[in-house]
Amino acid sequence: MHPLVDSTRRHFFQSSGLGFGALALNALLSRDSVAENPLTPRQPMLAPRAKRAIYLHMAGSPSQLEMFDHKPELKKLHMQDAPASFLEGKRFAFIKGVPKVLAGQFAFQQHGESGQVMSDLLPNLAKVADKLCVIRTVHTEQFNHAPAQLFIHTGSPRLGSASLGSWVTYGLGSANENLPGFVVLLSGGKTPDAGKSLWGAGFLPSVYQGVQCRTSGDPVLYLGDPAGLDRKLRRRMLDTLAEMNAAQQRRHGDAETLSRIAQYELAYRMQTAVPEVMDISREPQHILDLYGAQPGFVSPAESADDPRVLYKGDDPTFANNCLLARRLIENGVRFVQLYDLGWDHHGSSLGESIDETLPIKCQQTERAIAGLILDLQQRGLLDETLIVWGGEFGRTPMMQNNVRSELKAGYIGRDHHPYAYTMWLAGGGIKGGLSYGATDEFGYYPVENPVSIRDLQATVLHTLGLDPHRFSYAYQGLDNRLIGPTNEGRVLQDILA
Amino acid sequence: MKHAVLLVTLCSSAVSAAEPVQFSRDVLPLLSAHCFACHGPDEHERQAELRLDLEAEAKLVRDGSAVIVPGNPEQSRLIARLLSPDPDVVMPPPKSNKRLKPEQIETLRRWVAEGARWQRHWSFEPVVKPAGTLDEAVKTGLAQKGLALRPAAAPETLVRRLSLDLIGLPPSPAQAEAFARDPSPSAYARLVDELLAQPQFGEHWGRMWLDLARYADTKGYEKDLGRTMWPWRDWVVNALNADMPLTQFTIEQLAGDLLPNPTEQQLIATAMHRNTMSNDEGGTDDEEFRTVAVKDRVDTTIQVWMGLTMGCAKCHTHKYDPISNAEYYRFYALFNQTEDADRYDDAPRIPVVSPEQRAEQVRLAAQVKRLEEEVQRVSEADADLAATEEAKWSRITVVTAEARSGATLAPQDDGSLLAKGKLESEDTYTITFTPRVGRLTAIRLEALPTKLADGQLGVGRKPADPNFVVSELTVELLTGDATQTVPLVAPRADFSQEGWPIAAAIDGDLKTGWAVSPRQRERHVAMFDFAEPLEITADSKLRVTLTQNYGDRLVLAQFRCTTSEAAPSGLMPPKESAEARKALDELAAAQKSLRDFEASLPQLPILRELPAGRQRVTKIHQRGSFLDLGEEVSGDVLSAFGKLPDGSPRNRLGAAQWLVSADNPLTPRVWANRIWARLFGLGIVESEEDFGALGTPPSHPALLDWLAAEYRDRGWSLKSLIRTIVLSETYRQASEITPDVLEADPRNVLMSRGARFRLSAEVIRDQSLAVAGLLSLRRGGPSVMPPQPAGLWRSTYNGQKWIDAEGEDRYRRGLYTYLKRTTPYPTLMTFDGGSGEVCQVRRIRTNTPLQALVTLNDPVYLEAAAALARRMVISAPDAAARAANGLRLALIRPIHAGETEPLLRLQHEAQVAFEASPEQAEAFIKASRGHAEHTPPAEFAAWIVTASAVLNLDEFLTRN
Repeated sequence: MHPLVDSTRRHFFQSSGLGFGALALNALLSRDSVAENPLTPRQPMLAPRAKRAIYLHMAGSPSQLEMFDHKPELKKLHMQDAPASFLEGKRFAFIKGVPKVLAGQFAFQQHGESGQVMSDLLPNLAKVADKLCVIRTVHTEQFNHAPAQLFIHTGSPRLGSASLGSWVTYGLGSANENLPGFVVLLSGGKTPDAGKSLWGAGFLPSVYQGVQCRTSGDPVLYLGDPAGLDRKLRRRMLDTLAEMNAAQQRRHGDAETLSRIAQYELAYRMQTAVPEVMDISREPQHILDLYGAQPGFVSPAESADDPRVLYKGDDPTFANNCLLARRLIENGVRFVQLYDLGWDHHGSSLGESIDETLPIKCQQTERAIAGLILDLQQRGLLDETLIVWGGEFGRTPMMQNNVRSELKAGYIGRDHHPYAYTMWLAGGGIKGGLSYGATDEFGYYPVENPVSIRDLQATVLHTLGLDPHRFSYAYQGLDNRLIGPTNEGRVLQDILA
Repeated sequence: MKHAVLLVTLCSSAVSAAEPVQFSRDVLPLLSAHCFACHGPDEHERQAELRLDLEAEAKLVRDGSAVIVPGNPEQSRLIARLLSPDPDVVMPPPKSNKRLKPEQIETLRRWVAEGARWQRHWSFEPVVKPAGTLDEAVKTGLAQKGLALRPAAAPETLVRRLSLDLIGLPPSPAQAEAFARDPSPSAYARLVDELLAQPQFGEHWGRMWLDLARYADTKGYEKDLGRTMWPWRDWVVNALNADMPLTQFTIEQLAGDLLPNPTEQQLIATAMHRNTMSNDEGGTDDEEFRTVAVKDRVDTTIQVWMGLTMGCAKCHTHKYDPISNAEYYRFYALFNQTEDADRYDDAPRIPVVSPEQRAEQVRLAAQVKRLEEEVQRVSEADADLAATEEAKWSRITVVTAEARSGATLAPQDDGSLLAKGKLESEDTYTITFTPRVGRLTAIRLEALPTKLADGQLGVGRKPADPNFVVSELTVELLTGDATQTVPLVAPRADFSQEGWPIAAAIDGDLKTGWAVSPRQRERHVAMFDFAEPLEITADSKLRVTLTQNYGDRLVLAQFRCTTSEAAPSGLMPPKESAEARKALDELAAAQKSLRDFEASLPQLPILRELPAGRQRVTKIHQRGSFLDLGEEVSGDVLSAFGKLPDGSPRNRLGAAQWLVSADNPLTPRVWANRIWARLFGLGIVESEEDFGALGTPPSHPALLDWLAAEYRDRGWSLKSLIRTIVLSETYRQASEITPDVLEADPRNVLMSRGARFRLSAEVIRDQSLAVAGLLSLRRGGPSVMPPQPAGLWRSTYNGQKWIDAEGEDRYRRGLYTYLKRTTPYPTLMTFDGGSGEVCQVRRIRTNTPLQALVTLNDPVYLEAAAALARRMVISAPDAAARAANGLRLALIRPIHAGETEPLLRLQHEAQVAFEASPEQAEAFIKASRGHAEHTPPAEFAAWIVTASAVLNLDEFLTRN
């Protein structure tokens, strides 16, 4: 059994023995060092293939049929009524009646030595095609955004379970005590449909929840000292606090007070460490160019009142976040979660279309992702870092007919499709240049190597050295696991390097 | 951890071999943790057709041998399999990772040898009050470890502890001093009674109930729009202040609507289970989220009252506790009959009206009635004139009447047409009719007020704005196959909206038209002369087309066309007398006031049972899926815990009565434990959420039963149970930790000292504001928005905004802070508050750097520091006294001589620093909204830094 399973639900934080402001405290602590810091790095359960992870979630769900899953057969049926087999017994989010089949809107080519098939929307990513393991047969149980996002990130379509990043941080701790172990970065809009629960700790101790680092304002809430209070005075004030707390601790003997002193010191160090790591202007120009990053850019998408009106310009926020992700994992952060919003292309209004908006979204992201992979590689970090890319489900091979019955530029869209879609993995422990799984001629169902969300979750945990079947947390009478109560989830051995 | 505690219990029982093994305490936990997954209640997972959860099955003789042979471990296959060296035979199987330790096997062996006496799981046994007192039960536990109760804490510590525990606020130093100086032995009991009687008691203890009932101010999921739930929150606070017995508290919340002639308050109570989330995301299936909400009600009910987890029984029979899959859905069936169905408007709802609002509503309604009579009276005076005019117009015979939208235009007895059914933003009505044969000179269109969906009168179909816009009116003469457009002249109407004159209805421009706002609730008349009189023969028809292209559903609701043969010069639209006009305008204004007032009243979602004919059939959801329905089930309570009480109906009301019936073994234990845990930081059963086979066993079973019986048998009074507990010696102990008690009782499970733990999120906030003198004690009403960092609220498709409150609402108690589920108030979350998404049984306390950042830098705490600094500065002229007074305000206890030294050094050095950079001092004072009239800025800024240090002291954040 995982050592942590036996040691939860109490005193999550005890004194950590990290350097304190007041020297006297060190002596005090060495006598009393009781338990460990919950974020102290821990031995994985299995030999890990990757030490950390970056998860790139395209919220809203990109169309696999325009990016990775090439289906020439759809051309033949283009704008004809969808065959009955597409529709019988299916529930759709929005489609009613009989929709028309919609051909892929962009050309595809083979790339790299592996001959990985990708569309012309991804020119830069194509250059690292041999690094990617593209899975075209991911299928999910949910077809609305919020439940599907929760399902993939927490293992349950309802609120209240722990997120992947929380599980990983709980299982492995974090290598930098001055930074949060699990960091979340957003771009392309406000908040994903399922909100902050996507990085919540659920039933795990709250210390494992994701910390959203913002690119404008305080990167971590309340991180900045108030105006007029400089660092020297803050230090001075914390010394007084530590001195008085230590005196009090000597009187009542409660170790929890030592822990509190330690947390104030950690907060002080975070105040310096977080802004430093979040400052991408420290990067040289060639690195900024590799990602397409622009330090200091504040996206209009963050403050748009109507989220459907997406910022269509050359928005570098996602690129900035990719670069930040590298800086964070380089500094020991265990799990970095990016959400890029604006991928829900129904075609119901301008700003939600496959023909006009998807190319813009690809342009805003694919160069940065390729840059991230190359940058990690040149630093020798790619082999230790797992990268996951994908949405919460896929998009239908049919046009969404209740929106519009004929093709109109700027309004071509597809509905939610849970039965087969594309995600890719890369980096630590993953076979590059691999195409895994195949869908039928319309891209509707998997016909070879279907991969469930449970499989994907099991594989991610396994890669990081956590046994998905045994890694559990007892709460409300259940041994909760990311992969859920049944043993359907299996590790995809075929894609492991 | 769970296992660790178990082990401690078991080891001690294995060591103290003199005591007989007790099934429920020593054996059942072993069997459930190691055996029930495969040999328990769940038939799908069951192996070898063996059940170890049932005595008869375990002792059944099959093929001459039995798994358990009482008194004979050697003959018992259970013991043989546990001890087998053969990996293919040994139980549990090695791959299960559930291996028993030798001392655990020994416990089982001894139990068999002692006769294998069976009992039910401890918490399922009836509650019987043990002899003795609370303190005696604790002392017994302590004595086994050679410990004794500690002496009482210092009076100042005690008064702060009691005040924080009972009302969630610190006492004032004066209160503390008065108590400390009162030599009377009854002073403490008097203090307890005073605190229990304060209205802040219900606010503090209500927070616990809000966590359990997953209270929030929004609906959850993607859009997470606001909803009115606060009247229920106020109901809870009032119920706790009135010390409503748990029986009534339970029945009114779960089934207030099913009581005979329920009062408004009883209906408000049922909103407890309307705290479930609703999903307004486009494309979601309302039935799916309705069933999710009902399951949440079932799970929360059993969790909150009985401390059992029902979650797993949704998909399969519970592996450890006696709740089958079918039983889950039988209990679900009792909750599956309410009207709510994940609707956008959260129906059914009731307006929640205060007495003042009720009076205002009555006043406004009376005013409308009076003005209606007035209009009636004055229009009668105009009636003769109207009749003369009316005689000039003749009815038509409608042949066809169509609306392009597909709406129905239904002919009415008065010759008008009523639009019904489909309502689109734009519409065109086409009416073909045969007029009277003869020579026609003019046509008239009347817009008639009709009752709309909201019960109000209007001439347009959109209830919120029943205006219409006739973009264009055309008349065609149909004779045989010939169609001829009839030119219209001399447009005139009784009234036209500014910018929307009647002439615009025949100007050939679809962008202009005739409209009638603000008089969209009165009859209106428009007339047009034919340019040349029309000769109508028997085969002539007229076709009138009303194009209404404005959009936004501004289309006619009911209208009538009539024609005239009179000389056009004599045809004029009605013009009411000045008196009638005045009456009509006054009536319109009064109606608007009433409508606006009623729309502003909060609407609270409630539970309402479906009528007999519309009740739902409940079927088992196979594997928990609402789309995969199995066998039909009828409603019932969980069979392992008794039947519906005699005379109880088979519905939610019956379920509520069953939960609080005197022989329910779990409800009193779960509640007593919960209350104990709030006062001691740790439950007697640590796993407050799980009293089932996998929960932690009670540290003091007799104490728990004593409290449970006390609670149940003394009228389920929360206040009297709390009173009993806080009057005990156990509660009043000093909290200092000495090395020997730390060794013997590291986590204070035995209550070898007074409890010491960090305060909860709301109490930390309230205490800081109270000590600073900023806290507002205003009670109830809509939730408020104290400062939070800009830009946090950003839900998709949701335009609601967080606007930092100014004035009193900035400083209300944390209970009243607006809770948005997808973006909860960040500082409350940082201190382990919940988001109200699911039932939160307890808040697991953490200690993190993010908490330090909150109390150091959050403007709420900065403002508190500045206000406390002001109090300190005003309190005395000299620094030492100021520092001591600040400490005393915060910590309540007397301050020792040396204690202010570090603060004084800090203040001095900070002042020197600020004097060197006066602009920093100004900026810091401004950021903390501080003001002190007679103190130089550098000095005052330094006092704010000092006060902030005081508000961050561990002792301040902790209940001692």
